[in-house]
Amino acid sequence: MSALNVTWGITARSLMLIPRFPSTFFPSLIMPLFFLVAFAGAFSAFVDLPGFPADSMLDWVLPMSTLQGCAFAGITTGMAVARDLENGFFDRFIMSPAPRGALLAGPLLASVLRAMFPLVLLPVVGIAAGVNFHEGVFTVIPLAIAGLGIALVAGMWAVGLALRARSQQAAPLMQMALFLSFFLSTAQMPLHLLTGWVHAIARFNPMTNILELARQGFLGDITWATTWPGLVSLAGMAAVLGIFAARGLRKIVP
Amino acid sequence: MSSVAAHYALLSKRSLVNTIRQPIAIIPSLMFPLIFLALNSAALAESINLPGFPAVDSFLQFMIATTIIQGGLFGSIAAGADMATDIEGGFFDRLIATPVSRTSILVGRVAGAFTLAFFQAFLFFGIAMLFGLTVDGGFLGMLGVALISATAGAGFASFSVAIGIKSGSAEVVQGSFPLIFTLMFLSSAFFPRTLMSGWFQDAATINPLSHMIESARSLVISGWDVAEFLYGLSIAAGLLVIGIVISLLALRARLADKA
Repeated sequence: MSALNVTWGITARSLMLIPRFPSTFFPSLIMPLFFLVAFAGAFSAFVDLPGFPADSMLDWVLPMSTLQGCAFAGITTGMAVARDLENGFFDRFIMSPAPRGALLAGPLLASVLRAMFPLVLLPVVGIAAGVNFHEGVFTVIPLAIAGLGIALVAGMWAVGLALRARSQQAAPLMQMALFLSFFLSTAQMPLHLLTGWVHAIARFNPMTNILELARQGFLGDITWATTWPGLVSLAGMAAVLGIFAARGLRKIVP
Repeated sequence: MSSVAAHYALLSKRSLVNTIRQPIAIIPSLMFPLIFLALNSAALAESINLPGFPAVDSFLQFMIATTIIQGGLFGSIAAGADMATDIEGGFFDRLIATPVSRTSILVGRVAGAFTLAFFQAFLFFGIAMLFGLTVDGGFLGMLGVALISATAGAGFASFSVAIGIKSGSAEVVQGSFPLIFTLMFLSSAFFPRTLMSGWFQDAATINPLSHMIESARSLVISGWDVAEFLYGLSIAAGLLVIGIVISLLALRARLADKA
């Protein structure tokens, strides 16, 4: 049994759980839509702030909401792993001759594939709502790179946590970290309009660079200068959280 | 004390003790609003300079009434969840086998939520004052906000208790959490209604939470005003009356099923 076959088998199983447990998947679709409506509606006057970089709050919020949906896709995959650990299904994986790396790669690939749903849905909603796509169809390329990357690192975080907690009760912690990583960045305001301790954290929060990567085509031109910090941030987060997830697996399968 | 009054007092005390003994159940109503307050006060500080924004010292001053009411509403979930747990665990059946007043079963839960939200309001005021909050309405203003928040919390607790009685499942009651979250976002909880536009402004205008929060907020940012206080309190009291009626109907239906 090759590692690729096992990885795909576990990924396919994770995707098949979507229609069986829709309640565990819907948050990755409903929550970003909710944030899009709530933030664009409540804070529509932000665009009048001096130096605010968007003409419409929808342009500012849509990439952030899409990335949140992608991150939720990673979190829900972690919750599925926690459920498998809780009900003993994961033990069957461990007892099988499956390559150990595939036990991690399968759910992570599922995270990335699950992220395709918000990555398609949100831009379509954006087109209907009149969001500006400054670089035409190319606008969504940095968004897709950032979204798939966020799904991967959120999956690493959630799966790593699930492997340690071995319980679905870890779900609030998975979500809280995600929530804080977004809201301690430029999710609501650009960096130069943030003040105090939030500004200090947002400056060094890798999510700030990733949001800039995703947003650039919605706010103006796509440039390498805005792209590479986002890619480096994603790579850094993937390296750290990848080790976190791998060590979590090693705790179960020495 | 008459026996009925004693039933009310005992079941209210039990509800309060029940909640306090489960710190995990209180954490969402304490921590989430404080996290929102801390984040928004720093992240949205510049927005108070927008033309049309109410005259405030800081976003913290604008936001504190929201935080207090949010804490009251989040805490209300525990009342319904505890009621459902009583049903799941069989305590409810034992209770109705006694000659205890039926309405005290409901009122006990709702009064517990009221008391928790009332004292929580002063805790939030205290924490915010450490970070420079000033309350233009003084102690009377703080008392007014606490009463509006506690009445609103009791109102939402009665809806939550109705769901708990109807479903008999704590999980279902907990599932109503996103509904409160949505109601908060579709209101003027986080930003002034005058700076919203289109259908979102319309939705915030018909949302009673907006009016309740704006009344409480005015006690903080504009000073004590008895008319504003009574306006906010009457909306909260209206929700409480509707919630009590619905929960009484749910209780009557459950008792009829048992008969």
